Amino acid sequence: MNTQLTVSFKNQLTEIERLGQVMAEFAQRCQWSPQFLFEVNVSLEELLTNVISYGYDDNQEHEIILRLFFADGELTAEIEDDGRPFNPLEAAEPDLSQSIEERSIGGLGIYLVRKFMTDVAYKRHDGKNLLILKKKSVKED
Amino acid sequence: MEMAESKTNGIVVVGLKGKLDANTAPQLQEKLLAAITGGEKHFAVDCAHLEYISSAGLRTFLLAAKQLKNVNGKLVLYAMKEHIKEVFDLAGFSAAFPIFPAQADALASFKV
Repeated sequence: MNTQLTVSFKNQLTEIERLGQVMAEFAQRCQWSPQFLFEVNVSLEELLTNVISYGYDDNQEHEIILRLFFADGELTAEIEDDGRPFNPLEAAEPDLSQSIEERSIGGLGIYLVRKFMTDVAYKRHDGKNLLILKKKSVKED
Repeated sequence: MEMAESKTNGIVVVGLKGKLDANTAPQLQEKLLAAITGGEKHFAVDCAHLEYISSAGLRTFLLAAKQLKNVNGKLVLYAMKEHIKEVFDLAGFSAAFPIFPAQADALASFKV
């Protein structure tokens, strides 16, 4: 079985709600567990939010493409945007040992992505940012 | 996301329902910070119907906690679903925020 979907999002935070709807439908088609869907949804939200919030210097409308491909228990998700060159994987990891007052606000999102995904890669090509995520599902007996 | 607010024994109880994400977290942030500015110091967040949280939601609690620290206030959470708790654990937030199984425990934690 393989299932695929390509969706386009605008660079507006309200699209995060639509992402949730799109992922819930895709999860149903792929028969994902609620936990698998949750971890994928959070990861995609973190990356999409980064692009929407920090990716563009202008106030124009932009298109962010999400491609999903699920086969043999593995999800491959690609996020492509035409924003400024940005590799979120270079973001510093949060210092989890710091107390709450010392803790900085950034870095948490990408930290969760790394925890939830099996593999995350970044490429810059044709003037676009491309993030490629992979996640294996655990077979449920 | 839906939010409900009530007050009991000087503790603001905030009920969250649905998704706390980058799109909805600003609403909660606005509510919490306005209440803190208004002089509220004690908050208990009911997570029984919270289905989803991302880093934007975590950041909101962190911001509120930092503000509350300045006024000797406190924010606690309760009735968290397992997958939400896991995000708190992963982010190292479980050590920073008191998380209780039920409302009674959460409210009792404010008694000296």
